[in-house]
Parts: sequence; C-alpha cells; structure tokens
Amino acid sequence: MKRYDCLQALVAEIKDALVVSSAGAMTLEWNALHPSDGNFRVRTLGLCSSIALGMALGLPHRKVVALDGDGSLLMNLCSLPTIARMRPSNLVHIVFDNEVYEASGSKKTATGAGTDLVGMARAAGIKNSHWSKTVEEFAAAAATALRGTELCFIGAKVTTERTAVPPFPIDEVENKYRFMRHIEQSEKIEIFKVNLPASYT
Amino acid sequence: MAAAESAKIIVNGLKDAGISIIVTLPDINLSDLLREVEETKDVIHVPLCREEEGMGICAGGYLVGKKCAAIMQNGGFFNSNNAIVSTLLQYQVPVLLWIYYAGDIGDRTFASTGGMTEPVLQALGIRYYVMRDIDDAPELIKRAQILAEDGKKPIALLLTKEVLGRRAALKSL
Repeated sequence: MKRYDCLQALVAEIKDALVVSSAGAMTLEWNALHPSDGNFRVRTLGLCSSIALGMALGLPHRKVVALDGDGSLLMNLCSLPTIARMRPSNLVHIVFDNEVYEASGSKKTATGAGTDLVGMARAAGIKNSHWSKTVEEFAAAAATALRGTELCFIGAKVTTERTAVPPFPIDEVENKYRFMRHIEQSEKIEIFKVNLPASYT
Repeated sequence: MAAAESAKIIVNGLKDAGISIIVTLPDINLSDLLREVEETKDVIHVPLCREEEGMGICAGGYLVGKKCAAIMQNGGFFNSNNAIVSTLLQYQVPVLLWIYYAGDIGDRTFASTGGMTEPVLQALGIRYYVMRDIDDAPELIKRAQILAEDGKKPIALLLTKEVLGRRAALKSL
C-alpha cells in the first residue's frame, strides 16, 4: 500500500477538519493533495499527536486529524495514554507505518522489528484502534472516523515509496499565522488583538 | 501562608490571566497546587506522562485560540527542551511555564538540577521570574501572560517553596 494513495482517499473525507502532519515527505504529499491553511506542519519529531490533542481539546466541536509516522510516534509513545485518558471524541490519529525513519536516512524503526503500534494504542486505552491493510480498508476506516464521534486510531502499513511533489511553500511562522487566521475566519473568533501603545490612545 | 491557600491564589491568578488549558506532571511540592487545578472548573486539565508532550499540547491549544500553561518540576523543563526550541520558539508560541524550583537554596536534594535551571533558561533566551512572595502572585501572573503574548515566546515563572506555602519567606531572597 502506498501512503500517497491513502492520503488521496482521505481528501474526500477531510471537509473542514484541521490536519496536523508530522515532519517528512508525508507533509509535502498531503499539502500537494489538499492545500489548505488548515494544515499544520510539525517540526519536532514526536509532537504531531500532542499538538493535535491540544487542538482537539481547545476546539471540541471541530474534527482534528493527526497524520503521524512510526518513527514520530515511537519517540512520543506517552502521547497514547494521555490521549486515551483525555478521550477527545473529535480526534482521529492516523499513523503511516513504513518501518523506517524516512526523513532521517531510512534506518529501520522498531516497528520493522515487530513492534505493533495499533496494539500499543489499544493497550494504552484507545479501544477503537485498527490496522487498515488495503487502500479500500483505509478509505472506509477514515470515512467512519471522520463522520463519527469517537476517538479513533488508524494504523496503515505503507511502502517507503515517495511521490514527487513540490516543497512545502511556507516557513513555520507563516504556517502558524495562516493556520490561526484560518481558525479565526472559520470559527468566527478573534485570537489576535493588537494593543496600541498608550501614546496612541 | 498554608500551601492550600497559596494554591488557590495561584490558580485564581491563572484563571484571571485567561488560561484555559493547563498541562501538569506531579511533584510532591506541587501537590496542593495540582489538587487545586484538578478541582477547578473552567480549565481543561491534562495530566501528562512526560513533560515534552505537554509543550505540544500547549502549542496545539494556542493554535486554536486558547491560552495555555504548563506546571512541572525543573527536571521536566529539561525533558521538554527539544519541544521548547523546535516548536515553541521556532513557531513563536507563548506559553506560561510554571517550573517548580527543586534544588533551591535550603533544599537537601536536586542541587545540580536547581543549579542548571536559570542558566538553561538564559541560554534559551526565555525570560523568567523567581516567585517568592505569594502576595505578588496574582499581579505577576497577569504581567507574565502579557509579556508572553507580546513577546510571542514562553515565559517561565519559577515556583519556590516560599511561594507554594511550604517554607518561610526570607526578606533578602
């Protein structure tokens, strides 16, 4: 199964969901398939699911999707019990498991030696944790998760194949501002209040 | 002042500063404060397994418009450094870091942790304030949140045993 094909299947279901994606080529593929100011690229390996959890808790009526990788989740495994404990019904945690640290030279991760991330998610307390073995299964699981109201963990074993796509066009700070302006517009809230210096008033 | 009373003042100060997500990891000296956080309505309390994930949760909360704070020991602050640098500082995310100052003057444990706390904060360029007087806490919290938002960076407040109501305050500290 190719990650790009899974991401392509996800586009049809994403609607106004916020998408947090882990460092690496997956972010570029996702952004090429679904460019949006509601996409947030993570720079700290491991933090993808934690940032998504913070968003899900802060905006409980809005779907949040974490597009995670095996190397990333392995670095922040304690995120699984924390997510299970908080149980946000609007969070969908997707892990594309290609069994290598793809962005760091493709050395094998622990999942390549048998570690089962879906098993770990379930054991951490996320009951709705399943593997998708085909693109069709993945598309169905993503549709159920995004239309439903239950915390979900979806694992997808994928090949290491990358699809040639353009680079992510913006830096971290612009990503932040675009994302937060997108939240302001779509949620009709004001986040940034510019306070004028006292001498102006 | 008793620890329970200090805890109430600090948590009320956090609420007055508009904080609505608080991530925590326990330390025995934070126990009254964390009990107060747990019992407080109007804030989302996220108990962590490791402090670094809390930096991600605070960043996520901020990105959707919430004001966030983390309460942890200084050892946990050290655990969080990669996330502080490559997420909070890189993306310019304001978060209040409430760091219990283990290894402070008079403690019999964690002297090396205490000794490295301020130098690491300085190295990261994170402005910090050592809280010793509980009477100043409400105003200090409000000002720290303003500075975090205006500077678009984390601000650290170092919680001493004195401000937590666990040791008598000294005039010269």
